[in-house]
Amino acid sequence: MKIKIKKSTHNNDLALWSNLKLGDEKAFSQLFEKYYSDLVQYGNSFSPFTAKVQDCVQDVFTDIWIYRETLNNNVIVKAYLLASVRKRIARHQERDRIFRKSTTVDAIEFLFDFSIEHQLIADETTSFAVSNLNKLLNDLPARQKEALYLRYHEGLAVEEIAETLEVNYQSANNLLYRAILNLRKEWKGIIVLLLSLFTSIL
Amino acid sequence: MHKRNDFTEIEDFLSDESFRLWAKYQVDQQQWEEWTLEDPKRAKLVEEARLWILAMKVERPILDEKSIESALDKTWDKINEAERARPLFRKQKQKIWQYNWITSAAAAVLFGALIFSYFNTSLFSNDSTLVYHELIQENEEGLVEQTNNSNKPQIITLSDGSSVLLLPDSKLSYPKAFLGNERKVYLSGEGFFEISKNRKKPFYVYANEIVTKVVGTSFRIRAYENQPNIEVLVHTGQVNIKSNESVEDSNTKEYVLLPNQAVRFTRKDLTFNKISDAAADNTLSKTKNNIEDINFSFADTPVSKILELIENAYLVEIDFPKDKLKNCYLTTSLNDQPLPEKLKIICKSLGNNTTYEMNGNQIIITSEGCD
Repeated sequence: MKIKIKKSTHNNDLALWSNLKLGDEKAFSQLFEKYYSDLVQYGNSFSPFTAKVQDCVQDVFTDIWIYRETLNNNVIVKAYLLASVRKRIARHQERDRIFRKSTTVDAIEFLFDFSIEHQLIADETTSFAVSNLNKLLNDLPARQKEALYLRYHEGLAVEEIAETLEVNYQSANNLLYRAILNLRKEWKGIIVLLLSLFTSIL
Repeated sequence: MHKRNDFTEIEDFLSDESFRLWAKYQVDQQQWEEWTLEDPKRAKLVEEARLWILAMKVERPILDEKSIESALDKTWDKINEAERARPLFRKQKQKIWQYNWITSAAAAVLFGALIFSYFNTSLFSNDSTLVYHELIQENEEGLVEQTNNSNKPQIITLSDGSSVLLLPDSKLSYPKAFLGNERKVYLSGEGFFEISKNRKKPFYVYANEIVTKVVGTSFRIRAYENQPNIEVLVHTGQVNIKSNESVEDSNTKEYVLLPNQAVRFTRKDLTFNKISDAAADNTLSKTKNNIEDINFSFADTPVSKILELIENAYLVEIDFPKDKLKNCYLTTSLNDQPLPEKLKIICKSLGNNTTYEMNGNQIIITSEGCD
């Protein structure tokens, strides 16, 4: 099994970032290769059109290279990239909406659904609990779901999530906390039953 | 050591890298299993956290290496297009001019050197002689110039990952970044080039009256302003050579050279002479550099040996954790790779916690040893 370990690559990223700013094409390519598929996946959570999303991600990188001299020195590269892709797709959809003469210009919505690690589930009790939890997770408001995705899949810290979603620290923290709190409350009934079974086995 | 004894919430566990690895891949580096069983209250929380992870799967992206590669190519195309639409920066050139000529004293010395080489070239040449400084004035990319005034070869790495070993009394001008569809550099004197492969962006070396075009290979050029001939010798790959179009009435024939082949260009009458066995040529073999004789193929060779060889070939100093790499051996071929690429391959082979940093001729390798 291939194990992908997400190391704290922050320093490494910053080195690449500052080389990129000086016009290092290799550094640019490395960052591109490192984050491209993550960014496409994140982008696909807002729009199912992969070709369009890829176009947006490529445009983000194009701008980074062209305006490299004006980029900030001290950024969290990953959060910056995720935020840029998010903004670019939002702008894209906004334009589409204007063409369609729609009345509301909402922020883009996170449409992604978490799936289940089926191959790690051996018994029915677990399977039952996990499907329930999975359903509750996917029913969360889009913003909360997105915060969870960024926290636990992309490994961002709370302040990085705040930056990506363009909210302040407290709001990002609330999004995460509320998501988990709500869920645990709803889930209590199931979990109590399940855990009593589980601990009796142990 | 581990802060998990203070964990009280699900999110504490979900945020913990090693916990996630254990829950998802059963990689138990921190003895989660044991720790969980120590305390039944703990077990409850751990099991709940594990269920969260099972319910929060994110499928791995479907993009393979090839589609990422082609996306990168596409992005460069977009960049080129966008850059063509923007006005050229003339002021960049000015800036470099300023910092090259910091003090008037330095300017005077350089000026003297230029006069000297002018005088010298005129002995051999007719009016059509093109020299280095005329060439670099034609370039508008904003060039950086590096001159080797020492008595040893000097390593230069370019923004595309290529490396050039610049010999004494030689200079190279190159842009900080290669914009557009071409990579152009300007040489006066002698250099050994190892060019990173990029089919989409051919690499050109302008050396006085001739132009050498490659896609990715290694070769040596001797083009001293005060010598009657220019020589290009191919080491690996394929090289195309022709005379610079701005030289009047020169024949526009293009020469294709393969390894161990060379051309000698006579500047006086603008003629090319192909040499099909460079090893047998007196001048070329006499001027051969250390690096051209070194074979970079290794079979089960200690890393320290490989690094030592690189030190000698490129005249760099490599600092690396000798103890940690004591028992590391590599089997690999680094021939035909520019220096940064060689270092990258070595670091990659040693394991993911090995990195290098290069500053002029100082290279520092940090490593936790090999896997």
